[in-house]
Amino acid sequence: MKEENNVKLPFFGIPKLYTYIKPYLPKIILMVSLGVISSLFDSVFPIFNRFALDNFVAKKTLEGLPLFIVLYFVILIIQVVDNYVTCDLCGQVEMGMDRDLRNASFNHLQELSFDYFNRNNVGYIHARVMSDTGKIGVMVSWRMMDIIWNGAYIVWVLVMMLVMNVRLAAFVIVMVPVAAVIAMYFQKKLLVLNRKIREINSTITGNFNEGITGAKAIKSLVVEDKIKEDFEKDTEKMRRESVHSTHYSALFTSLITMLSSFALALVLWKGGNLTESGIIQIGTLSVFLSYALGLLEPVQNVIVTISEMIAVQVNVERLFRLLETESDVSDSIEVIEKYGDTFNPKKENWEPLIGDIEFKDVSFKYPDGDEYVLENFNLKVPKGTNVAIVGETGAGKSTLVNLVCRFFKPTKGQVLIDGKDAALRSQLWLHSNLGYVLQTPHLFSGSVRDNLKYGKPDATDEEIMGALRLVSAEDIVKKMEKGLDSDVGEDGDMLSTGEKQLLSFARAILADPRILILDEATSSIDTVTERAIQDAIVTVTKGRTSFVIAHRLSTIVDADIILVVRDGKITERGKHAELMKQKGYYYELFTRQFDERSFSLI
Amino acid sequence: MIILYFLEGSLLIFLISVIFSVIVTFLDMIGPKIIQYTIDFCIADTALNEGSVPAYMERLIEKAGGRVFLKENLVYVAAAVITVALLAALCRYLLKLTNSIAAERFVRRMRDKLFEHIMELPFSWHSENHTGDIIQRCTSDVDTIKMFVSEQLHSLVRTVIRIVVAVYFMIGINKTMTLISAVFIPVIVLYSCFFHNKIRVGFEQADSEEGRLSSTAQENLTGVRVVRAFGREKYERDRFEKQNSHYTDLWIRLIKILAAFWASNDLISGLQVMIITVVGAVFCVKDTITVGEYIAFVSYNAMLTWPVRALGRIISEMSKARVSIDRIAYIMNSEVEKDAENAVEPDMNRDIRFENVSYRYDEGLSEVVENVSFTIKAGTTVGILGGTGSGKSTLMYLLDRLYKLPEGCGKIYIGDTDIADIKASHLRKNIGLVLQEPFLFSGTLSENIGIAGNNPNMKEIREAAKIAALDDTILSFNKGYDTYVGERGVTLSGGQKQRTAIAQMLMSKPPIMVFDDSLSAVDTETDMKIRKALSENAGNSTVIIISHRITTLMHADNIIVLDKGRVAQIGNHDKLLEQDGIYKKIYDIQMQGI
Repeated sequence: MKEENNVKLPFFGIPKLYTYIKPYLPKIILMVSLGVISSLFDSVFPIFNRFALDNFVAKKTLEGLPLFIVLYFVILIIQVVDNYVTCDLCGQVEMGMDRDLRNASFNHLQELSFDYFNRNNVGYIHARVMSDTGKIGVMVSWRMMDIIWNGAYIVWVLVMMLVMNVRLAAFVIVMVPVAAVIAMYFQKKLLVLNRKIREINSTITGNFNEGITGAKAIKSLVVEDKIKEDFEKDTEKMRRESVHSTHYSALFTSLITMLSSFALALVLWKGGNLTESGIIQIGTLSVFLSYALGLLEPVQNVIVTISEMIAVQVNVERLFRLLETESDVSDSIEVIEKYGDTFNPKKENWEPLIGDIEFKDVSFKYPDGDEYVLENFNLKVPKGTNVAIVGETGAGKSTLVNLVCRFFKPTKGQVLIDGKDAALRSQLWLHSNLGYVLQTPHLFSGSVRDNLKYGKPDATDEEIMGALRLVSAEDIVKKMEKGLDSDVGEDGDMLSTGEKQLLSFARAILADPRILILDEATSSIDTVTERAIQDAIVTVTKGRTSFVIAHRLSTIVDADIILVVRDGKITERGKHAELMKQKGYYYELFTRQFDERSFSLI
Repeated sequence: MIILYFLEGSLLIFLISVIFSVIVTFLDMIGPKIIQYTIDFCIADTALNEGSVPAYMERLIEKAGGRVFLKENLVYVAAAVITVALLAALCRYLLKLTNSIAAERFVRRMRDKLFEHIMELPFSWHSENHTGDIIQRCTSDVDTIKMFVSEQLHSLVRTVIRIVVAVYFMIGINKTMTLISAVFIPVIVLYSCFFHNKIRVGFEQADSEEGRLSSTAQENLTGVRVVRAFGREKYERDRFEKQNSHYTDLWIRLIKILAAFWASNDLISGLQVMIITVVGAVFCVKDTITVGEYIAFVSYNAMLTWPVRALGRIISEMSKARVSIDRIAYIMNSEVEKDAENAVEPDMNRDIRFENVSYRYDEGLSEVVENVSFTIKAGTTVGILGGTGSGKSTLMYLLDRLYKLPEGCGKIYIGDTDIADIKASHLRKNIGLVLQEPFLFSGTLSENIGIAGNNPNMKEIREAAKIAALDDTILSFNKGYDTYVGERGVTLSGGQKQRTAIAQMLMSKPPIMVFDDSLSAVDTETDMKIRKALSENAGNSTVIIISHRITTLMHADNIIVLDKGRVAQIGNHDKLLEQDGIYKKIYDIQMQGI
């Protein structure tokens, strides 16, 4: 029955999985062979029974009983050992595949561009890595073994039946295509329904995520009831769809089991008549029927397994959609050959990064946008230059930085680093020389030390404390119970935003980058500290190419070049004095910022 | 027990489905039995031998018209088989459907109740527990319990029925042999129980390891920008792979133990069949039982083998479900946030008074705020200035009762009412707290802004957005107010998020407004625009502004300067400038640029 079910769906997506199955092929082959043997032995046990009946019970003698017991016992032991080994192998294949797929998807994610992360939420991606993989592992191991065990048994029994009586066997076999047609119809339906259910399921997971991560906002806004209501709408949808789907699967299973009972009745009737007319022996009919009877359960099992495998195909599809997503910004083969890839860098071929950056006729639009945010943009940033980017909130100040970092690639034109197109060198080379302090700081759960060492794994405690001192964050750590060993909590929850910003700043400095990017890195830091940091920035940026995105214009007046961004376009550029002279938008921004005393506050 | 609580509303349907399950089990047993008996006792020649047909079968066959009649009219037997099959199919369909209806109701209730409970848990609980772990509990543990209730319990019922029916018929044939056969049942069950207790620790370990792995993946995904910016992909990979391998090895070891368990189970039940076959043969030879009885007994015993084996498996699955139930119970048993008895809903447009407030987040940690006292007059604007980590936000969280002030750590009053005596919903509805790190809900911008309002119309939403200087920005988006944000939507900049949060708060026009450094990511020009609009719209609300910018605070009626958790200075701008304190120092630094 298996073959027919595969007509529409190419082998449950197994060919797609082949790369991942391959390392386990020997184990799988062994597992399958043992499974076939096991099901053969399963059909041997009734023979023992028949033998006991014919030789001991019928003949009223116990002669040969010891030998019978020994033989029975030996086969039993073989069977048990066989089953043990099969299950063990099955577990190894399941978990091994599971692990490999998780690694593969996780690693692939490390190389996907930001565009992917902007388009897909964390919960969704997380489910691909953590749950799809597990389901596929189960499919390839246990589900497959279920098919093998039951399938082999069915085949074995069908062969026995054909050998015994072709006509009678035909009654049973004729049911197979009928069952196949039914199965195909329902499979198609179930595939669609299951996909829908999975989607609702991931929405629900997303809801949980939102309800938990957004707890603070939900509580302070007192919107628990509303959020709950929305949640309940989704769970109700889930309930309805699931029942709807069961409706079909229940109908399916019932029909198939009924069909096999029909076959049995038919065989009993026709077979009984054949016996009457002496065409077949009564013994043959008895054995034939007992085999046919034994067929019911494995057929049912195969169907159940197949519908489970249908469900998993959705996971295969989704996981591969992730694995087959290509990064918008990927290194070319030549680059990888020379500089190595993300995981195997060839550091010996890496040139030192000097820090000359040039935008050459760069035009750019975001992959999901349709308007150019940069058009034919040219800018030379020699080594050690301090570039400041100012402008209104949401005006697109991060765009330039994203391009320098190669988080996005220019739609047209080139970004040159040390006179060479950035695309001609590996991303890792660039990123390894980069210090990026984000506006929304992200810390990993773990100790302060682990977090600070993130950019420089071999940093000593002195170096760490040095970096902390530089950004005036020494006190934060001293205040903590275990100093550098203190836990920062999930996403640094144990610290305030300002503290997180300081630590992530120290983290970037510790990495000693050639290019330093501060993306509103001090927005939540108090003035005294910021003042101290200003001095630190001057020290740190000396000799390094740096990009500073800032709101507080007082912090950037000394920049070598100031770029003013308005509505996503760069409208003015120059030094502070020049821009002030122009009396343009920058002038307006600057004067207004310091002209607040006249304005009456709330 | 917690399961019974979740079963409310679905228990009855479950019971109905169990009844169908019982019927299906019987019907499934009857069909094959009819065929087998027809062959063995009607058609076969063996039936002619004396004593080969059990007495009760003789009676049954007589009732059906006698051996010869049945043999010649097999079509009747076939019809009976088909009737049973049709009946079984109908009942099986109903069984699955009712079971699914019940299971889905059950799981829905479980999810809803969990979510509801999580919503009601105090914020301190949220900060103590890992998100990934909680989500794990709410998703995969819920699934495990659902599987258990909807599938394994059914198997248990079916299994028990099969065992009872088989044993019943076996006793009718021969008591001694039944005893030998049945003695294995407790052996297997006890063995299973012993084993299940042993493996439970393993399951717990594997579960928490999965939680850890899941958290690692989650963190990597949320921190993807940091990972990239530091070029630490390899480190992340190695760390994940190490944890992944650890988790995998744990499971492989667990499966090995499980396999040994299944195999030994197989061995025991195999031995049982073998012993019954041998003993039966011996009894037969000694004429203790007839041939017919032997055949019947062996076939009943075979009926016993599978269910007893399954019982072992079900029990081991049960151990998994129990772990999950405990993990869910952990959430459900965590104490929800409770209002004081006779909680009141006072007028909130009153003075806010902090009296000797001290707070620490955890036993071992030092105090974030220490002995803080001040009063904010109703309707005034108060600024709070203070160094990073000086406890500014903590004070506001305490005011909003996101963290509960423990006994003996001072009091916070609104008017004359201790906030501990105010209903939490009333308190929070009346305090509009704009968080430092705003959170957007997945939905459209208008939904986000209007979330706290009472079915607000577009005009109201736009008004709030206008005050927050967000209207123009939103209109510049392709889909305007219908732009989808949050988890699945477009990513807004920090400043846009902050402004959305401000608009969100403004919708409810609360008498107390708190801006927790909520303009930090907004440029000065927008900052000014917002404050100007606010001052025109705030009415007589009490406004508390936390900021690092003197320009933001200087016009406040009163400014509270915090230093390392203590109140260092209080006064208005001019008064503070006269003092030689922190305020003046900060003022001097910030005004240097001019």
